[in-house]
Amino acid sequence: MAKSLGIFVSSPDSLQHVIGITKAAKAKGSKVKIFFTWKATTLSKDPAFPGLCELADDVSICVDSYQKQGFSVDDVPAGLTPKKMATQAQHGIMIEDYDCYLSL
Amino acid sequence: MEYKKVCLMYRHKDYAIDGIRSALGLAVENMYAYGVVMDTEIPKLDELTQESIEMLRDMEGEVYSTVPANVETNGFEPLTIEELGEKLREMTHIIPYGIK
Amino acid sequence: MKILNIYKSEPDETVKKLVEIVTRDRETDTFNLNTENPDYDALVDKIFTADQTICWW
Repeated sequence: MAKSLGIFVSSPDSLQHVIGITKAAKAKGSKVKIFFTWKATTLSKDPAFPGLCELADDVSICVDSYQKQGFSVDDVPAGLTPKKMATQAQHGIMIEDYDCYLSL
Repeated sequence: MEYKKVCLMYRHKDYAIDGIRSALGLAVENMYAYGVVMDTEIPKLDELTQESIEMLRDMEGEVYSTVPANVETNGFEPLTIEELGEKLREMTHIIPYGIK
Repeated sequence: MKILNIYKSEPDETVKKLVEIVTRDRETDTFNLNTENPDYDALVDKIFTADQTICWW
């Protein structure tokens, strides 16, 4: 069975890498969880973001960071649900519960 | 149970404060979390961030800096690049945070 | 312990020094993300076989 992969995204220039890695990992049967924080939460407005949410098993963003980037908490990005507007605890979950970890 | 040890490194001033918050978030999840401000000088931190650092310290975490001015202004623990490298060897997770 | 170092840009002297210390006496692998078309399939294989992955700036 393929290993699970957690991806922590803190740089706003990494979306293509996140998508490429997620596609490759899913093709190998891996479970993929992604968490976006700080300025990388702006990537949730990228046209490619909803597709990434479909591809990965679990995508969430830091809602506090999102608000600090000037967005309203009610403005839920396409692909996410309000529950996925989350806290840094999501980062902790991927470190504790996933086989492999990658920060981008 | 073996506790995770995580070190986040910040090289850009716009990422340091949130990166410290990320470290605190992991400490709250029962991990040893450390932050290191590198290369960049950051202004005196606001009270909220200073409180976050105190909370991090209460949970056996720490914020270091390789920049002497940050040690003086914000009370970070001093660390050389060589010392940082040795510290990273003990970590289960190493996070070059944000952009440089 | 096998460490995978991923580079998002050309490593500078600081990163080179840290990598040198972190990987001392350990098995290492590298992957360069700073190319036009990274082979993500190969990268994921490397991540799955490494004990620790570090993606440098």
